[in-house]
Amino acid sequence: MEHADWGTIYPYLVWILVAIIGLGIALASAGKKLHIRRLPAIDAIEEAVGRATEMGRPMMFVPGLAGVDVPTFQAIAIAGHVARLAARYRSRIIMPVTDTVILTMAEQVLREAYAEGGAPDAFNPEDIRFLSGDQFAFASGVVGLMNRERVAANFFFGSFAAESLILAETGQALGAIQIAGTPSTLQIPFFIAACDFTVIGEEYYAVTAYLTREPILLGSVWGQDVCRILLASLIFATTMAQKFLPPVVLKFLGL
Amino acid sequence: MFEPLQNPMVNYILVVGALIISVVILIALHSSPPYVRRWVIAGVTFLVGLYVPLEFYIPRHNFLTVWRDPLSDLVRVLAGFTIGLGIVNLVIVHGRHILQRTANFPFSLAFFVGFISMAFVGFLHHYKPDLWAQKPSEGELAFWSAAYKVFFEGLLLPLTSTVFSLLAFFIVSAAYRAFRIRTLEAGLLMAAAIIVMLANVPVGTWLTSWLPQEGWLKWLRLENAALWLTTQINAPAMRGILFGAAVGGLGAALRILLSLERSFSFGGQG
Repeated sequence: MEHADWGTIYPYLVWILVAIIGLGIALASAGKKLHIRRLPAIDAIEEAVGRATEMGRPMMFVPGLAGVDVPTFQAIAIAGHVARLAARYRSRIIMPVTDTVILTMAEQVLREAYAEGGAPDAFNPEDIRFLSGDQFAFASGVVGLMNRERVAANFFFGSFAAESLILAETGQALGAIQIAGTPSTLQIPFFIAACDFTVIGEEYYAVTAYLTREPILLGSVWGQDVCRILLASLIFATTMAQKFLPPVVLKFLGL
Repeated sequence: MFEPLQNPMVNYILVVGALIISVVILIALHSSPPYVRRWVIAGVTFLVGLYVPLEFYIPRHNFLTVWRDPLSDLVRVLAGFTIGLGIVNLVIVHGRHILQRTANFPFSLAFFVGFISMAFVGFLHHYKPDLWAQKPSEGELAFWSAAYKVFFEGLLLPLTSTVFSLLAFFIVSAAYRAFRIRTLEAGLLMAAAIIVMLANVPVGTWLTSWLPQEGWLKWLRLENAALWLTTQINAPAMRGILFGAAVGGLGAALRILLSLERSFSFGGQG
């Protein structure tokens, strides 16, 4: 692995972004009131859980294909929230995983979520299933489970690849209500086409803040938004400079 | 940083010692109150999470770099242990189906047959040449190699390719739903899709081949219009989403590092 090149702007930029996000967290901790806009896809989670309960059928939560990484951690955090709602109605969640480290994490998070939701006995560890580490073996396993268990709601959160449409279209054919969220840009169009609700891009990382409304998490989302505005302004300014400034000035600015 | 030990006895003693220490730590962690567990996990997450960026951002080979390989090995060993848990999970779920003769019992039987056959053949294919002091015959080795090929290249690969090929049909059905013109956005989507699809087939480019290759009319040629749509509309939009997600990922990583993401900080309420 290489080390950061401090002769370029990039390491400084990353630490400036980290400092801004940290500032957001600090401001929120100090009591600054922050607002987060509505995310209809996340509002629909309760509706999906309620519908599955009414139909007396289980739900499925797929935390993506990746192993231990930030999108999967985020997916497991969302799974915890869905499980707390499911525990309230004593509903069942099936969670197939493709990574054995995630299997142990998911089992622990869902067990605690069911306990917090007031129904520890409704949690069945066998519903957290390791299917396969192979992409398409996992996809066929999930499709088989969906069909056999006749799931009423599907949640696809995490990093996905080509199997995303296979999973979402099978759920669509079964008539399940489907909510997806992924930072994998290539899979977003597939989820939009096949799911009822989709969270895209940066919304994916704001879900836990939206669900919990914890000031600290809202502060980090505020910090991220400031970073995006800063970076977009920087891109716009440098593009305009390249277009309109004379070469001598550009050379002086290092552009 | 660490040199391999030459003395096998010392090696075995260290392995057994490491296992005993791991078990003791696990027992201590499980028997401790939830708030202690939470603090221990948060502390370890913070220290390990801080190590990686610090090692990267301190220029060149630094005092942290020597720990990079041992830490990577530790992660691999921990992940290796969880593979056993994955197998246990599969065996429990499918074993129950077989013992209770549920409706899904044939699928579970297929799992056990596939799992045991593949593991057995794969193991013998890989280890047979050096398994025993007496070298196996050429014919025996060729048999296990052929058996492995039958299972891996003859069964597993075609099966995964079959599942992948289903994607073509799913794309058609998803496209049918997405392109139904009900709103202005769906209409624009349909128009863009027609232009890009036609530009990628010979008949499409033939349709507008009579238009001039220079001047403003060249943008009405389908191949140029499709290129404009993909590079000037689609690519910036995708990059914008990626850009937003990257900053979001940085924020989420920071929340995990500081254990602010309570939804998955283990240890129970406390």
